[in-house]
Amino acid sequence: MQVTFKVTRYDRATGEKPRVQSYALDLPEGATILDGMMRIREEQDPTLAFRAACLRGVCGECTMRVNKSGKLACVTRVASIAKNNEVTVEPIRYIPVIKDLVFDMEAFLWRKIKAVEPWLKPNGGASDREHVLREEELAEVRKAMSCYMCGLCDEGCTVIAVDGGFLGPAALTKAYRFVFDPRDHARVERLRHLSEPKGMWDCTHCFEANGHCPRGINPTDRIFDLRDESIRRGVKSGAANQQVARHYDSFVASVKKSGWLDEGRLAIESEGWTNVAGLLELLPTAVKALQRGKLPMPYLHRSRPGAEQIRRIIERAEGKPS
Amino acid sequence: MPELIADVLVVGGGAAGMRAAIEARKQGAEVVLLSKVHPLRSHTITAHAGINGAPAGGAWQAHALDTVRAGDWLNDQDAVEVLCQEAPRAIIELDHMGALFNRDGQGHLDRRRLGGQSAPLACYVNDMTGHYILHVLYEQILKSAAKCCDEWFVTALLVDSGACRGVIALELLTGKLHALGARAVVLATGGGVRAYEPSTGSLGTTGDGVALAYRADVPLMDMEQVQFHPLGLGRNGGLASEATLGEGAHLFNKEGQRFAQAVAPGMAELAPRDLLVRAALAELEAGRGVDGALLLDARHLGKDRVMTRLPQTREVVKAFTGKDLAADPVPVRPIAHRLMGGIHTDLNGATPLPGLYAAGSCASTGAHGATRLGGNTLAEAVVFGRRAGTAAAAYAKTVAAPRGSDALLKDEERRIALALSKGKGGESDVRLREELGRLMMEKAGISRDAAGLQEAVRGVAALQGRYAQAGPRGPGGAFDGGLVAFLELGYTLEVAWAIAAAALARAESRGAHWRRDHPERNDAEWLRHTLVVRGAEGPRVEFRPVTVRQWRPERRAY
Repeated sequence: MQVTFKVTRYDRATGEKPRVQSYALDLPEGATILDGMMRIREEQDPTLAFRAACLRGVCGECTMRVNKSGKLACVTRVASIAKNNEVTVEPIRYIPVIKDLVFDMEAFLWRKIKAVEPWLKPNGGASDREHVLREEELAEVRKAMSCYMCGLCDEGCTVIAVDGGFLGPAALTKAYRFVFDPRDHARVERLRHLSEPKGMWDCTHCFEANGHCPRGINPTDRIFDLRDESIRRGVKSGAANQQVARHYDSFVASVKKSGWLDEGRLAIESEGWTNVAGLLELLPTAVKALQRGKLPMPYLHRSRPGAEQIRRIIERAEGKPS
Repeated sequence: MPELIADVLVVGGGAAGMRAAIEARKQGAEVVLLSKVHPLRSHTITAHAGINGAPAGGAWQAHALDTVRAGDWLNDQDAVEVLCQEAPRAIIELDHMGALFNRDGQGHLDRRRLGGQSAPLACYVNDMTGHYILHVLYEQILKSAAKCCDEWFVTALLVDSGACRGVIALELLTGKLHALGARAVVLATGGGVRAYEPSTGSLGTTGDGVALAYRADVPLMDMEQVQFHPLGLGRNGGLASEATLGEGAHLFNKEGQRFAQAVAPGMAELAPRDLLVRAALAELEAGRGVDGALLLDARHLGKDRVMTRLPQTREVVKAFTGKDLAADPVPVRPIAHRLMGGIHTDLNGATPLPGLYAAGSCASTGAHGATRLGGNTLAEAVVFGRRAGTAAAAYAKTVAAPRGSDALLKDEERRIALALSKGKGGESDVRLREELGRLMMEKAGISRDAAGLQEAVRGVAALQGRYAQAGPRGPGGAFDGGLVAFLELGYTLEVAWAIAAAALARAESRGAHWRRDHPERNDAEWLRHTLVVRGAEGPRVEFRPVTVRQWRPERRAY
């Protein structure tokens, strides 16, 4: 199979701008992208840098962006992805590159994994025998922990695209593994930590992580589950993230009171009545909305029909007698 | 002057290395875990099927007898006793660390049967057992605050005044060599099965630690014993996990016969791997294969069971063959899988070189004998990893900080610079590696004889000679993968030579070592280990008695 690899080259040590280099290859049928990269290094260009380990798509080491799509190079067949006998190979997005296809995973992912204190904080149990656990308690935790740490969900994340500080779907999936592990005692503490700025409430639920995960782990859903669990346990926000709690309280209070959302009040209460700087930030948006006749006026907000029923539903969900 | 970086320096970030590091930390040692790949990319991740240990209330002796029988009585039974007595505790410890083993209906650890097991012994997490153990151990490494040096590649051991006092290592990020001093060194670098082509080894399964110890004149034990796996998927070392057979999948020949029933009526596909592999080879040689392969059939398990218990295997099978494990028979053929032999250690991982310890797949305690029982690799890693960590930490307390000169560092710098200077225009090390893999497969593979093994020994020696004149193509420096591959080939050549020499010496058939010219096991002469020692002209084979305790040698039948 005749194919041209167009590989993005870069070296942090020189700092020169990335450039694309073309390599013409004759590869056997069934060859993978990694086979092609090996062949280039062995026969044409020994300076080409990349990583690989297991060679069978189970370790997450050889992540690359191939024809604009994040892939594990060792199990991506050239024939299945080449267009007009060409493939482009470049670093995954948003990651600091060290050299060619070798990335700074510490900066991109490992530091975030470490930030969720990724070890079990055991809630006891006799040390001379196993925990007695039902399969149903373990199945989802097990699925979350089947993550290869390949980084492809973070590469697809639309928040990381604009804020590299966001904890991101991979680290949150790692956190899920502890929050929902029946043997961990630190759930509430973990949820509080995850509720700090740049944590789980920064997710915009765009579902890209689900689409990018090569293993069907559905990181976006894990983030939803973490948030639900957080609310269930009364953790509305982290200490430095009170806006989330105010938003939550205002939302519930509004729906409970009038049966629907008082958007104007929500915006103000989320910032906080005494938060002058925050309220000022709302002003330009409010002015534009006013000009277009779309400004929700809190004092005009009226209860909708059936509000009483809605209140009872909420209270029942909250566990209060109706 | 080597910089003292640790009391205990662990080389290798797989299960054995991490378990050793965790234990040494617990003993209060300053620990550095040095690995040529990030620990989560270690070859442990490819151990799918399970980890053996007798169930609570069950007898460890049954596990031990299965281990000895699979090992064709070449096992050192004191090592087997340690493995089987301590494995249950090690598994429970993993459960407390947070491993997610499958449960039975009562919520206790479930177990599955793997090849060679008379009753279910293997705890498992679907078909990703190694993945979960590796990730859980890494969690504990982060908790322990052991220092990690990821992507450092060891080029030599620092040996001074008759003791190991650290390593010389290449920092891949910078391309610089460093002398790293330590009071004790634990090698946990995994196996060396990439001496064969094809093999199931990860890219880095090149026998680094085995060769490092050998070059420091530490003997290698049972190197002739090389395990092949029946479920290879062809190119690049793809493998269908033995978990498929444990879950009840069958192997068929072209005529639709379950050929394993003939060689092991009591166990069929759950016979030890060496028997299954020889049966498969016989089918293929008799022309009863389908396009040179046998068929793995999991269809009768039903889609649900395949999806829940074998999800990763299904992904791998799809990637390598295009087949759906739940819906299609999958073509499989034997493939080189692992070495039973390795660095000779005692039950605490100590080698004859003071200060040097080894654990896991690079080591040979004698526990495996002539064929490893499926599921014993992970058990070995955590049981003997812990022991090596304990022993290394205790030893470290007794020795002073390493001293010495930079002489070895300078030697290594010169050696690598010389190799780099030969790379341009010289012979390609990539071709040498391919030749080595083919040679070993053809002459020192599943079926062996004296003439072929002599060719293997001569062939590897010739390749060593050509290797000495070759060099990597790259410039050196940061992330020069070609340089690492070149240095790795140097290790693999040592391993291959030791395998061929030991296999030529053992003039009998036992376990995985199958000699066409000596088809019978011969306890009168060969109930002993081979020890390969480095000599001036290449490997020299010595022998050591096998430790037999309560399990007297019997005929091996299933």
